[in-house]
Amino acid sequence: MDYLGQLLANGLVLGAIYALAAVAFTLVYGVVRLVNFAFGELFMLGAFLTASLMLPEVRLLGAIVPMPGFSLPVAAAGAIALTAALGVLVDRIAYRPLRNAPRLAPLITSIAVSVVLQSLAQTVWGAEELRFPEFHLATLPPVVLFDSIYLSVMDLVVMATALAAMLGLSAFIARSSLGRAMRASAEDQMAATLVGIPVNRVVAAAFAIGSGFAALAGLLYAQTYGFAHSSMGFLPGLKALTAAVLGGIGSIPGAALGGLILGLVEALGSGYLPNGTAWKDAISFVLLVGLLYLRPQGLLGKPELNSAGRGSLLGGASEFGAGWLRAAFGKLDGGLARAASAGTPAALGLLALALVVGALLPSDYWLRILTLVVIYGMLASGLNVIVGFAGLLDLGFVAFWAVGAYLTSILFVLVLKDQFGVEPATIWWLLYLNLPLAGLLAAGFAVMLGTPTLRLRGDYLAIMTLGFGEIVRVVAINWMDLTNGPMGIRGIPAPNLFGIALGSPRAQFFFALALAVVVVFAIARLVRSYVGRAWVAIREDEEAAEAMGVPTARYKLYAYAASGFVGGFVGVFYAHTQQYISPLNFSLFENILLLMLVVLGGLGTFIGPFVGALIWIVFLQLALDLPFVQAYPETRFALLGIVLIVLMVFRPQGLAASARVALTMPGARPANAKEAA
Amino acid sequence: MSQTAHIVHLTAPTGPADAATPPLLQVENLAVSYGRIRAVDGVNLHVEPGRIVSLVGSNGAGKTTTLMALSGLLPLASGRIRFAGEDITALAPELRVARGIAHVPERRRVFAGMSVRENLVLGAYARGDAVDIASDLERMVALFPRLGERMAQQAGTMSGGEQQMLAIARGLMSRPSLLIMDEPTMGLAPQMIDLILDTVLEIRKQGTTILLVEQNAVEAMRLSDHVYIMRLGRIVHEDSGTNIDPERVKSFYLGADA
Repeated sequence: MDYLGQLLANGLVLGAIYALAAVAFTLVYGVVRLVNFAFGELFMLGAFLTASLMLPEVRLLGAIVPMPGFSLPVAAAGAIALTAALGVLVDRIAYRPLRNAPRLAPLITSIAVSVVLQSLAQTVWGAEELRFPEFHLATLPPVVLFDSIYLSVMDLVVMATALAAMLGLSAFIARSSLGRAMRASAEDQMAATLVGIPVNRVVAAAFAIGSGFAALAGLLYAQTYGFAHSSMGFLPGLKALTAAVLGGIGSIPGAALGGLILGLVEALGSGYLPNGTAWKDAISFVLLVGLLYLRPQGLLGKPELNSAGRGSLLGGASEFGAGWLRAAFGKLDGGLARAASAGTPAALGLLALALVVGALLPSDYWLRILTLVVIYGMLASGLNVIVGFAGLLDLGFVAFWAVGAYLTSILFVLVLKDQFGVEPATIWWLLYLNLPLAGLLAAGFAVMLGTPTLRLRGDYLAIMTLGFGEIVRVVAINWMDLTNGPMGIRGIPAPNLFGIALGSPRAQFFFALALAVVVVFAIARLVRSYVGRAWVAIREDEEAAEAMGVPTARYKLYAYAASGFVGGFVGVFYAHTQQYISPLNFSLFENILLLMLVVLGGLGTFIGPFVGALIWIVFLQLALDLPFVQAYPETRFALLGIVLIVLMVFRPQGLAASARVALTMPGARPANAKEAA
Repeated sequence: MSQTAHIVHLTAPTGPADAATPPLLQVENLAVSYGRIRAVDGVNLHVEPGRIVSLVGSNGAGKTTTLMALSGLLPLASGRIRFAGEDITALAPELRVARGIAHVPERRRVFAGMSVRENLVLGAYARGDAVDIASDLERMVALFPRLGERMAQQAGTMSGGEQQMLAIARGLMSRPSLLIMDEPTMGLAPQMIDLILDTVLEIRKQGTTILLVEQNAVEAMRLSDHVYIMRLGRIVHEDSGTNIDPERVKSFYLGADA
């Protein structure tokens, strides 16, 4: 009973913090239907700013800067105000220009904002932890309940603060004029405008309040665990989002309930399950997946939220942008579209170009980078099947990639070499067997994961697949016997063909190119068949597709399977070129990166994923040469994030949007009949 | 039928028609585009205070687009809008409400998840926090007794006609000098249509100028002091409500006359 009581108390403290951050997600989602991933980073900034304001001096950008040394309440108020202002600024710059853009665009910019804020925080405060200064209340003796449950005074302060903040917000939303305006804007922005509500200002207010709540949660978290760190916001941010979805996103009592449940389940799980602390992150996501399967709209959510964004994943365009920039993007887009409409000749031309580059490029270093471009292009193509063609936002795609990479690595290294002492060179053919095998395994896996998501739509689907991806990663870290855990698997043999090792960067580039031809050809055939037409029908309007007799469930599973197959297939090659894999290679960030590549290049195009991969990876390398980046290496990702935000704001439909595959029945147009033949 | 039934006979134009009165709303050469498609092209219209002016035309003629441009929901490709002597072409939508333009949108668009009272209170949003809205609520209940019985009800659970009443009342809560109504009778039962149209006359009688878009051209002509006929984004004909020959209207609708 003592142990249980203590766990419950810990769970309540954690739950209070999750609930506060969940309110941020829920409030902003309710008003603008945006999952603002950047709240995780605002959470982190709340902690850093509070700690900095409390200390007598802080090291910022390597220099010691004197600080006011406020007490916790004053510092917290200052940090909350600063973070709220930052949240409003972020909305103004990165989200407001995208209100009428394709729905994925603001999601991508929110991730880019996260990346920017996180790397800036790392630049400013350094890569080490900042110890959170002790508040004098923390030195008081703990409160003892029922003779056995110890609660520190600060734990009580955390819970009381969270409760007061949430009750205050609820009352504000229900009673005040601005709160009413917020609810009205959430329901119908046009009608709200027509009664004279300045909707942009109401949205800014929602961002300010949400950011303030995220900062409050972050500083309470840092206070409880005693440190602040630039990456501390990532996992709590995901948990808070999970809590918001659990409770029913858009509902404030739901966020409170979801946060509380999550905190309690995590505390109890890590206390009672064998090796529970290691698995506690998986527990939250299993809970999320299970609940969304049983009750797609969350505990207190309205069912219609689950239909958000019908047919709008790709529609819309920027209404913003300087003339010359728009013209330049238009020209690039037109060129890519012409290349795409030329069909086979253009594809062969591009391939020839790639072959010439591969044969003539003298630098091994750049060949490796181009190999990476091709690999990421293929992976992005696989993700494009499900997101770009079938219109299902999948944040768990990396899991399929991981399945392929781990299958071949485990077979080659852990089983055959370590257990049976077989030299990899003598069984070189196994790689070629593993390619389709891993593809099939990952496809089976994808169907398994896809089945429970069939009832979900829009952002809920994204969150559930995100949960799956995280579960796979946690399993990869913790199932030591199977995956070697966080140490990863070393010594994976380079590809080998009839005893000839394909170890050189040039050979691997050509190998990658050959696989890319297979992948793109297979996807193109599939997309131009009746299966592809069914996918596009589902993407454009699921209800209409259903009404026209498209068995949507079956075709969604086909899309999962196809995308999973590509993921597993490419994963095998990836493991053999990298020769080392660990769970870190398959993080949510990688999945988001792939999504960015697809969106950057243009959803639902064949060429887009490769365009996106080329821009991203080449830019990542070029940025290394900038003197500014050399002085502050952490800013490289910030720079990338800024580039991405600019691209998204000016060109939310992607660079090659006009190259989107036009799907008409064979024979409907002469040009198409030729392609189909 | 409510207390407004007695004004059905009021069909002759009664608004002050002398040329000296400056128009309340004056639109010059208005053009609106959706991407490359020009939906409204070179529309000129004016609304004198105290009148009911109608915009009629078939589907896709550009009536709703014109209204949305007037209330600032759509950017103009060109043109100028003057309201009560002030150029409001570049004014934000919420400021137009504050100046006295209320727009009752197509398909009503009440805040379905909120109570009738909250909808009405939101209607007065542009007037600021300090105003006393109790008297306005009473006025709305007098105009639509049905709403009085439903103050606490969720707006989305009411019938279409009741929601239309609420949408009109919500618009009136801002005490507009010009009430823009987009298809207030759409999808309503005939009895309800009569009631709504009677109310339109009553609102004018209480001093509010009205710009009305109606599918039902015959009803609109009977009601209005002045009628504009739109076709393919342009105004093709205008006249006082009683002067327009219904046969001519029919030809505009059917496209026989271009």
